[in-house]
Amino acid sequence: MTGTAASAGPAPTVAVAPGAPGAAPRTGASVAPRHLRSAVTEPAWVKWLLVGIALAFLALFLFVPLAAVFVEAFKKGVGVYLAAVTDPDALSAIRLTLLAAGISLPLNVLFGVAAAWCIAKFDFHGKSVLLTLIDLPFSVSPVIAGLIYVLVFGLQGWFGEWLRDHDLKIIFAVPGIVLATVFITFPFVARELIPLMQAQGTEQEEAARVLGANGWQIFRRVTLPNIKWALLYGVILCNARAMGEFGAVSVVSGHIRGQTNTMPLHIEILYNEYQFAASFAVASLLAGLALVTLVLKFIVERRVRRELAVQERSE
Amino acid sequence: MGIEVRNLNKRFGATVVCDDLNLDIPAGELVALLGPSGSGKTTLLRIIAGLEVPDGGTVLFHGEDATHTDVRERQVGFVFQHYALFGHMTIFENVAFGLRVRPKATRPPEAAIRSKVTELLKLVQLDWIADRYPHQLSGGQRQRIALARALAVEPKVLLLDEPFGALDAKVRKELRRWLRRLHDEMHVTSVFVTHDQDEAMEVADRIVVMNHGRIEQDGPPDQVYDHPATPFVLQFLGDVNLFHGRVERAGAAGDEVTYVRPHELQILGAPSGGSIAVTLSQALTVGPNTRLEFKRMDDGSYVDVELPRAEYVALRESLGLQNGATVHLLPRRVTTFSSEGQLLDPAAAI
Repeated sequence: MTGTAASAGPAPTVAVAPGAPGAAPRTGASVAPRHLRSAVTEPAWVKWLLVGIALAFLALFLFVPLAAVFVEAFKKGVGVYLAAVTDPDALSAIRLTLLAAGISLPLNVLFGVAAAWCIAKFDFHGKSVLLTLIDLPFSVSPVIAGLIYVLVFGLQGWFGEWLRDHDLKIIFAVPGIVLATVFITFPFVARELIPLMQAQGTEQEEAARVLGANGWQIFRRVTLPNIKWALLYGVILCNARAMGEFGAVSVVSGHIRGQTNTMPLHIEILYNEYQFAASFAVASLLAGLALVTLVLKFIVERRVRRELAVQERSE
Repeated sequence: MGIEVRNLNKRFGATVVCDDLNLDIPAGELVALLGPSGSGKTTLLRIIAGLEVPDGGTVLFHGEDATHTDVRERQVGFVFQHYALFGHMTIFENVAFGLRVRPKATRPPEAAIRSKVTELLKLVQLDWIADRYPHQLSGGQRQRIALARALAVEPKVLLLDEPFGALDAKVRKELRRWLRRLHDEMHVTSVFVTHDQDEAMEVADRIVVMNHGRIEQDGPPDQVYDHPATPFVLQFLGDVNLFHGRVERAGAAGDEVTYVRPHELQILGAPSGGSIAVTLSQALTVGPNTRLEFKRMDDGSYVDVELPRAEYVALRESLGLQNGATVHLLPRRVTTFSSEGQLLDPAAAI
């Protein structure tokens, strides 16, 4: 019922269609097959109108800004571009971004697979609570996520004094950035795996168990091959977010140039200092990453679909 | 290896799925657990396999308590209704799986695995399919591979959960005969779950009829069919007509229900002792048999009669049997239970 209510917008357009000029030829007896199809197919003009709106939106909000990034980046020539991306502070930001992503990815794969495994394959009390907790980073503003760590590990925070006494720095240092990134990207892998693993059920694992496989063998030889593409898909999304994260990282980083600046933070600083060409040059690297991610996502998505189809066909 | 089940209890939440079950499965037998869905038969099978833990009671394998033995050490083969083949492995690797996951000390060498798998694939008559993947196979082929995979670990007990449930009627018929032959060759103690009474009758040495988590009856197919212990067994094992205390019984009072199978009613042109007057309301011929639906003249309820097509044609000629015609039905054989489900002496029923 909610579905009908949600689509109330376009519905009047469809209702008008039979009387519209585009619908007139369908009344002829000679086009009976088309008449059959018309039950699920909108008239051509509705279709193209909707496609047009979608394309116009995409162009305005995605393609134009993306093009603008590259145009601005190369506005003052290739020399300025190269200088901007090879600047020591820029290189340090790139290194830190790669480091944060490099640490949070394996952690999220580990947590994500573990969480998805226990949610999809076991029944236990508090399962829905766990599901909600996994989604928490999606529902909490990244700034709040960052603030949580400042409140816990910051100088005025719960563990602040203890950390200072033991000469451990988390906030305004690399560990804080990694923590914030792990928190923000936590749902990606688990969210991708849970529906697939639930659809696959536990029969294959049970079969392996009866045949004498131990827990690790079951995971390695049965579960993992069944989820590998979905896992990779989650990793790609997770990576894109880890490299692009701004809000949470911004709160815990302290913006120390050459030390705690990630790429998004570095871009902001350059922009605020009116170094537009340099800022867009670094931004173009992130945009390039986004494009690579899109292509990978497209390829992997097709494999995930095939995986699901094979799963259905073997049932 | 024989299996004994003692005082087994299992519940899921408020639902009791195994209610104090006791069962003996002698070594080498092929036993069917027969019952409607929700009768607890699959749960019983899974408890025997070790895939489910009972709330109480014991499972004995060869006289030894195996209730808390891990699935992996029970040496059972399990065949799932939906095959549960490993989709990303070839058929060969599927069958080889149980041998490959063994610890190094007991794992056979590659050549031995190879010959064992080939031998099993020959046994299920699918050796030409070794390099394919499960999704390229038909349902019947997949189920045979699932069986070969289960047999690869040389199980002491073979457990099959609705093994033919997902197959179409013709393949199902072929496969159950094939399973019967296979069992006669191998003599491994086997238990299979089914809700199809024909399947149980045709394949099993013994049938265990289950309902609401309890065993209603346990015996050879003929005995279960001819001498049902409860009204449930009688009704579950085929169509039956019910007569609520209508058939006269000499000298005894009390409610009783009499059951007569459709093929055990004789059609007569004239009334005879104990016969019922009916009118024909419908005749339906399916294959070699004709199903006649009669309406009783006294209370208007319906009675089904089944007879061979040729017999029906002869009756139609001799009695003028057409819709609306009046004839008399005489039961050849009845089973009577008291209203509490107590079996009454059939000889006294008429």
